[in-house]
Amino acid sequence: MFDIMTVFESFVEILKVVPKTLLLALIILVLSFMLGAAITYIQSLGIPVVKQIIGVLQSFLRGTPNVVLLYLVYYALPLVSAWFLGLFNVTLDPSSLNSTAIVIVTFSICYSVFQSEIIRGALHSLDKNQIEAAQSLGYSTTQTLRKVIIPQVMVEALPDTMNAFLIIIKALSLAFLVTVVDIFAQARLVGAQSFSYLEAFVAAALVYWGICVILTYAIDKLENRMRRGYA
Amino acid sequence: MLNIEHLDLSFGDSKVLDDINLEVHKGEVITFIGPSGTGKTSLLRCINLLEKPDGGRITLGGDTYDYGSITKKETLDLRRKTAMVFQQYNLFKNKTVLENVMDAQIVVQKKSKAAARDKSMAELARVGLEAKADAYPHQLSGGQQQRVSIARALAVEPEVILFDEPTSALDPELVGEVLKTIGEVAGSGMTIILVTHEMSFAEDISDRVVFMDRGKVAEEGPPQQIFRHSNHARTQQFLRKFYTASH
Ligand SMILES: Nc1ncnc2c1ncn2[C@@H]1O[C@H](COP(=O)(O)OP(=O)(O)OP(=O)(O)O)[C@@H](O)[C@H]1O
Ligand SMILES: [Mg+2]
Repeated sequence: MFDIMTVFESFVEILKVVPKTLLLALIILVLSFMLGAAITYIQSLGIPVVKQIIGVLQSFLRGTPNVVLLYLVYYALPLVSAWFLGLFNVTLDPSSLNSTAIVIVTFSICYSVFQSEIIRGALHSLDKNQIEAAQSLGYSTTQTLRKVIIPQVMVEALPDTMNAFLIIIKALSLAFLVTVVDIFAQARLVGAQSFSYLEAFVAAALVYWGICVILTYAIDKLENRMRRGYA
Repeated sequence: MLNIEHLDLSFGDSKVLDDINLEVHKGEVITFIGPSGTGKTSLLRCINLLEKPDGGRITLGGDTYDYGSITKKETLDLRRKTAMVFQQYNLFKNKTVLENVMDAQIVVQKKSKAAARDKSMAELARVGLEAKADAYPHQLSGGQQQRVSIARALAVEPEVILFDEPTSALDPELVGEVLKTIGEVAGSGMTIILVTHEMSFAEDISDRVVFMDRGKVAEEGPPQQIFRHSNHARTQQFLRKFYTASH
């Protein structure tokens, strides 16, 4: 029978892994943002062969499910790193590779493609006139970047980036496949212990939803503050 | 005070400015007029190096800069002695009016916040907008935005202010307040280089008028000479066309 007390107990158990899940998602967000910025920058240089290679990579990442990529990295990373370290005569026990690291690597690469597009869009909205105003007043390139370009690009990129954060949190539910315990994995464990999967997943759904509501509220607040001055 | 010698500028194959020479004295108001596409905007942009000329040199505030071999540091140095008022105001949209006027003093001139604020409020008072200090640009009319951008230019105490058609983007009823502000700036002894199509304003305010045609200085002289007694065919033709178009 469905038991509301069990839902509550599961809820409390699941809450314990929320900080870890959020931290993981944040690390992935930051890394994918940096990687995305790098991709945007490299693409903007338009170096012939490099441009095509990145294009193919982007389309590959976009067209492959996260699960597949996760397994791909899970099985390939130990081989690749063993081979690489072998070049320097260092031996590595493949099983010692941290599965959290695997999750971080996989998702950072996955979402860098999307971040790159977000950044490109934000840069596109940049107003050349304001940059010229700064230059005409004698701002150096770095000062223009810090005082004019970055603050405005951040505002433009904020909603999509935060949206990506929510998507990453949900996508982390795949991490259980490589034994990383996030919200979803914890719900499975809790459910298995008490033979009450339904309650556990109801609790998990509530946790996800709660995070989403709180984050959305916070982001709206932040965006409103940053957007002061925007028509 | 400002001296330009043999300035050349091309975009690709087309020569936009051809051997421009110009001397401006402290406190002088020089107005450039001329047909569209003659290079008036380009000339202003060359003076503060938003466009890099192919050659020539400029002397400003006692220093001479060679356009052909100008360094990054010299570029910033030259820009810090000039200020530009743009046709589209070009205010920082994410900053308040006060921050717009303060920012360069803090970032570029390394002034203290308090000193920058005092200076900015004084300049805003000068253009009659101290009450709007905390507003954002989009909350102001075009005329008010342009006056803020004039305050921003004044606040860095440049040797010269460059105005590029400061009223062209404005609704007709807002032109007057901006012209009045520019008139006051000129009256205060600021050195001004102005590009405008407001001929009667130019005649009133200018010490000297330069008629530019196809990238060259075609004629220059006191306003009465250019507007009333020009004996240069292209100038007469331009002004005649201009007056028939606007009356
Ligand atoms: N960035 C650019 N690249 C290529 N050509 C340009 C560029 N900027 C200006 N030009 C060309 O240089 C010439 C001079 O332009 P400029 O804007 O200086 O003229 P102007 O006298 O200010 O005209 P207007 O009265 O219409 O403002 C024009 O032929 C223009 O097409
Ligand atoms: Mg122009």
